[in-house]
Amino acid sequence: MLAIYKKELRSYFTSMIGYVFMSLFLSIVSFYFYLHNLSQRVANFEYTVSNVSFIFVLLVPLLTMRIIAEENRQKTDQLLLTSPVTATDIVLGKFFAVFSILAMIIAVISTYPLIMTRYGKVPFASAYASIIGFLLLGGAYLAMGLFLSSLTDSQVIAGVITFIVFFLTLILEVIARRISTSNKTAYIAFVILWLVVCLVLWIMMRNLTVAFGTGIAGVVALTGIYMAKPVLFDGALIKVASWLSAMARFSNFYRGILDLSDIIYYISLIFVFLFLTIQAIKKKRWS
Amino acid sequence: MIEVKNLVKRYGDHVAVDDLSFAVEKGQILGFLGPNGAGKSTTMNIITGYISATDGTVTINGLDIFEEPEEVKRMIGYLPEFPPLYPEMTVTEYLNFVADLKKVEKKKKAKMVKEIMESTKVTEMQNRLIKHLSKGYKQRVGLAQAIMGYPEVIILDEPTVGLDPKQIIEMRDLIRELSKNHTVILSSHIMQEVSAVCDTILIIDKGRRVLQDTPENLSVHFSSGSLKLVVRGDSNTVIRELKKIDKLTRLEETESHEEGTVSLTLYFNENDDIREDVFYSMSAIKTPILEMQAVRMSLEDIFIKVTQDEGLSDKNKNGDNTGKEEVLTDAGNL
Repeated sequence: MLAIYKKELRSYFTSMIGYVFMSLFLSIVSFYFYLHNLSQRVANFEYTVSNVSFIFVLLVPLLTMRIIAEENRQKTDQLLLTSPVTATDIVLGKFFAVFSILAMIIAVISTYPLIMTRYGKVPFASAYASIIGFLLLGGAYLAMGLFLSSLTDSQVIAGVITFIVFFLTLILEVIARRISTSNKTAYIAFVILWLVVCLVLWIMMRNLTVAFGTGIAGVVALTGIYMAKPVLFDGALIKVASWLSAMARFSNFYRGILDLSDIIYYISLIFVFLFLTIQAIKKKRWS
Repeated sequence: MIEVKNLVKRYGDHVAVDDLSFAVEKGQILGFLGPNGAGKSTTMNIITGYISATDGTVTINGLDIFEEPEEVKRMIGYLPEFPPLYPEMTVTEYLNFVADLKKVEKKKKAKMVKEIMESTKVTEMQNRLIKHLSKGYKQRVGLAQAIMGYPEVIILDEPTVGLDPKQIIEMRDLIRELSKNHTVILSSHIMQEVSAVCDTILIIDKGRRVLQDTPENLSVHFSSGSLKLVVRGDSNTVIRELKKIDKLTRLEETESHEEGTVSLTLYFNENDDIREDVFYSMSAIKTPILEMQAVRMSLEDIFIKVTQDEGLSDKNKNGDNTGKEEVLTDAGNL
């Protein structure tokens, strides 16, 4: 794991990507810091953090799009997978490498509230709660990016898909709030969502019967529940959407609330996507 | 040392490897020979644990690659068809990374990297980025990667592809050198290459084992059924006398290079040996034999013959399998 971690981390600094990512990230955050704190003479750093949280959607694809896709394209995955390391070692090494880059940036950002102490009293608790949340949110996006990169061997495709998925997480809650809360809409939305899941399944497994079978089974199950107990679907869309939306959870952090359930939510999100990535790599052996 | 048993790999309806079995002893070089798409790379990818098999087992030193992948992978160095190189790294960086990956002890690492760079002759390129190297050097760095950690088994997939003739000879020498301490499997679709370095040749076609033997035995057993003969004497008498041999099927006079001699090519059934008959018939008419040479099939000929037979039996397959069985038992008898 350590070998892959070191190699991965170094690769970001022997190419441009690491520097571009860090400088863009810090410039954007600094600009928002100026906009929301310094120029407004407001001491609450969480305002900056909450407004700048979209940054992951823009920049994380830059960091993660090549991370596994490029190994697949260069066939270096053959070296990794025939060496005495496990798929878990590979995925964890890569995740911790990108997470370290993020942590370096966050370390710089955590000095920003200190700058403001020159001008008056700063509410440190809420400032650092929001920074911890920011790091966790970033970790979740990195894990998602890692997973999406493992699905293809073209970093361009990986980048585009990652961006689209991230963008959806950004607007998911807003969309859900706008559309009707009726149980029928929820039912239709769930059916569509399930079919999308099956499409992803097909892309991963290239097995039409399994994807088709799961699709039909899911739709039948949803229809059954809808027929029997339509009440279950009342407002369900919003609930699910806000549960899925990594951004929505984040609102607690910038209010300065460090809720354990939110921390666990982000950590489990990271776990789920790392687990999926490991499976995607293992699955390649069995195709 | 390496034992492959009843290996099968299916991709949907396509069978890439079909019931392949073979064994390699310690210190041997096994050459894997077959036309493009015969299943050589697939088999190697299965042995090294990169892909799984549909059926069958692969054991190295008694350990199963599917059950104890990490232990087995520790014993294998693998150079795939496309060397797995990181273009953005220098040669030294890359080899150090591979050493870490293969869990080479820290103390031994620097020395081992240096040694391997010297034996694969990449030392003078050690600080260059891999993307700037020529194909030949990339292949050598790939080989260096496979040797790293000195695994017991080294598996090379088409190691000389893209090299110039001088580099090919160097690569062969290197492989021979390696076989002193390692067991080597290499694949190729080029005959001379395999016959030049390998102890055993395994010919596969369409994922099936066609035959396995040493290069020498292969050409002995596959005599082409013809004999070159040079005798001193009158051509009419000689031909008349030779035609008395029952086993002879055809006779051809070729241009003679020496005055007073007759050069002939004799054809006979592949399974017969007429050398003694020729000797006695010539001595009966007191005609000295100056040269007699059994024409052996080159490995190319054997290869083409064997893979074509296979193709023919495939065509006969509709309805009965006997054609294929025959070829396989033939191979077994060798």
